Amino acid sequence: MKTILQAKNVEKVFGAKGNAFTALKNITLEIKEGEFVGVMGPSGAGKSTLLNIFSTIDAASSGEINIDGKNIVTMKEEQLSDFRRDKLGFIFQDYNLLDTLTVRENILLPLALSNVPVKEIETRVEKIADTFGIREILDKYPYHISGGQKQRAAASRAIVTNPSLILADEPTGALDSKSATSLLESLSALNENNKSTIMMVTHDAFAASFCKRIVFIKDGQLYKELHKEGQTRKVFFQEVLDVLASLGGGHNDTI
Amino acid sequence: MTLFSIAKKNMKMNFRHYFLYFASMIFSIVIYFTFVSLKYDQTIQATSDGSTKISSAFSGAAVVLIIFVAIFIWYSNSFFTRKRKKEVGLYSLLGVRKKQIGQMLFYENLIMGLLALIIGIAIGSVLSKLFVALLMKLMGYEVVGNFSISIAAIINTVIVFSLITLIASFQGYRLIYRFKLIELFQAEKEGEKESSASFLIALLSIILIGSGYWIALQNLMDSKVWRTLGLMVTPMVILVTVVLGTYFLFSTLTVYLLKLSRKNKKSYWKGINIIGTSQLLYRMKGNARTLTVIAVLSATTLTAVCTAYSMYYNNRTNAEKFNPNSFMFIDTNNHVSQKVQSIVNKSKNHQVIYHETIPTLEMKADITGFKNEFYGNELMYTVISNHDFNKLAKEQKHNENLTLKGNEAVVLDATYMDSISPAYVGSAISFKTNKKVQHITVTDFKKYSVFNLYTAQNSIVISDELFARLQSEIKPLNIEAYKITDDDDAKQLSKDIQAIVPEKANLSSFYANYATGLESSGLMIFMGGFLGLVFLAATGSIIYFKQLTEAGADKDRYEILHKIGVKKKEIRKSIAKQILFIFVLPLLAGITHCAVALTALSNLMQTNLVVPVVICMGIYTIAYIVYYFLTVHSYYKIVIKTK
Repeated sequence: MKTILQAKNVEKVFGAKGNAFTALKNITLEIKEGEFVGVMGPSGAGKSTLLNIFSTIDAASSGEINIDGKNIVTMKEEQLSDFRRDKLGFIFQDYNLLDTLTVRENILLPLALSNVPVKEIETRVEKIADTFGIREILDKYPYHISGGQKQRAAASRAIVTNPSLILADEPTGALDSKSATSLLESLSALNENNKSTIMMVTHDAFAASFCKRIVFIKDGQLYKELHKEGQTRKVFFQEVLDVLASLGGGHNDTI
Repeated sequence: MTLFSIAKKNMKMNFRHYFLYFASMIFSIVIYFTFVSLKYDQTIQATSDGSTKISSAFSGAAVVLIIFVAIFIWYSNSFFTRKRKKEVGLYSLLGVRKKQIGQMLFYENLIMGLLALIIGIAIGSVLSKLFVALLMKLMGYEVVGNFSISIAAIINTVIVFSLITLIASFQGYRLIYRFKLIELFQAEKEGEKESSASFLIALLSIILIGSGYWIALQNLMDSKVWRTLGLMVTPMVILVTVVLGTYFLFSTLTVYLLKLSRKNKKSYWKGINIIGTSQLLYRMKGNARTLTVIAVLSATTLTAVCTAYSMYYNNRTNAEKFNPNSFMFIDTNNHVSQKVQSIVNKSKNHQVIYHETIPTLEMKADITGFKNEFYGNELMYTVISNHDFNKLAKEQKHNENLTLKGNEAVVLDATYMDSISPAYVGSAISFKTNKKVQHITVTDFKKYSVFNLYTAQNSIVISDELFARLQSEIKPLNIEAYKITDDDDAKQLSKDIQAIVPEKANLSSFYANYATGLESSGLMIFMGGFLGLVFLAATGSIIYFKQLTEAGADKDRYEILHKIGVKKKEIRKSIAKQILFIFVLPLLAGITHCAVALTALSNLMQTNLVVPVVICMGIYTIAYIVYYFLTVHSYYKIVIKTK
């Protein structure tokens, strides 16, 4: 199976000499096509830093990162923008929908930016809206819809370009459990049916239990890895909780 | 730590934020101080001989300035305090008493006001010297060097700005009482409703502006609208329709058009257009009022400055039109005429181009044949023969050669105005001599005269044979006419001649006319330019402030865009486009309004204003362009500098 993301010895140091803080140390990670990987760890462990580096929003201090065969470390600002637009999809905790645009316009935004023809834009948006069940709110503005709907709209925007890698940063963080479950189920289905590759940062064991593999980070280093491999979600969930307990300092959000 | 020292520290740390407010205050003070010191300046007062015209013009303009400066400071102050809402909220949350926070804000404003006052007066003292020199030059006076800083001006400025600062400081004090704590912390209200646009109101905006323009461009004399509404009400109607129309234009028509453009998915869903258009739509309604104010202000400023400038610009043309001869007077005494001739010939700085002694007849005419109510029934005419007219016309470079016969005559009317002056051609008038009545027929008229207006108010050319016949009945008057080189610089010569020519000789000199015009129009252009500059700076700054406020609110949106892969270049382009829209709209409306107003004015005054107006508008537009680039740059910096 094709390797989508390959990170070797990634390090991130904040601050200048003398006052430096190492946020990530020697991270080596590989994500294959069609994987659904969760990243967990206590607050301050470096989850978000890692995600930001993979999203090319932040740069690593050292190390090698290849996404979809392209080395993102050596890319220039402009190239990175194009790369983000074409290869990556983002889902954020606070949705990051533009409130000046309707849901439909928000979803089609990445397509419009890549100058996709109008006809194709329309069919793709309709299709994705059906996948996430938000067809009837397409012409509403973000402030008229619920948090769950917003997050599904944001997820639609993230995958409308068929990105190589979808990066999700605490996507359920601001949702109630029902909306969260429905979103996670949608992501899971997307991963199963479309073979979409997803990397999700979360501190919520329940959300993580939807993943196929979970990577734990502690103090900026890889700590442990869990694989679902045929276990039921419930058993996997228990396993995650055990690891979190051993990590200490982690949250124990129950269902 | 006292409140005063916290206030001082605040200002040191937040200098960047304070700077804008501070700069606009200094600017206002510099302008005002310069203006007032001109008013009190001894050089100007002495040169203009305490002319009431100048001092009252200065006082009037000073009042306009005060009002404007007060509004401007109030606006930038409120912009500045809004920026600090959160800070104030934090103090309140930490348990600082409202009264104490209020006092702190009061001190801050006070310190800033006093600092601005000192710096402003210092800069103003330097600048006012420059402006005195400029004003003198414009008014055609020789610059006198001894300019001193006037104490009266300093006192005046200090009083006015202390008052304004005090009011602004109280406003800062009141800020804390006006808002509730929760409001101080609330983020920018999300989900403002998108501007709605009804087709009817969009249409109404066009109708309103159109009808305003239409009325303005009507001929004053034969328009039914002007006649029914009256000369006082009609301009008000024009003003109201155009201002209202402009408001609807910005609040509705633009929104309507933007919405239409959104329907065209091919262009709307292309690249970053989708962002620009939706942003504008979202913002337009909130901006409509500001844009209207700016458009109206721009139109007023432009019209005033253009009018002043065209008067200055046309001064020479008008002086030449009404004084085709450098000097002209009636030969009342042969001795005087000879003396004048010797003075002119002796003058080192000027050469005589021509000197003519023209025989004329002063005759009363019955002009009922003109059928014109403005002119009445009788008029004194200076009559000149065909031969002499041709001679003078040739010397004055008019391409004209009349061949009048019998009772034919040609009227010379330098002040001719369509629809006010009589319809000359074909009308019959008559001269009364001692013995009989001489009927003549006007076959043509010229829009110039070969005589200076002051010496010979109304002139008419008749055939040589008729002139000879009338000459035998009335004693002719000789008119002395000189044309010299450099007659715009003939101050001394003009004075010398004036000294010896008696009053009844009706001496007219090109120089005297030119200099008076220069003096008053120079003053006008100076005032107009000065006030125009202030208005320009203020309107530009208002847009600038407003856009920067919005930049703060838009920051998050652009951050999202950057995250999902929009290049910085594209973001910059989109910002430039949006801001261009905001800048061009009021400028375009202002220029169009001004153009219509000036067209109406030039119809009324029968002068051609194109060149001076184009120059004025050009300068105004260039200043706007500078503001535009400044705004785009600052906006971009705010939006992009997130990390």
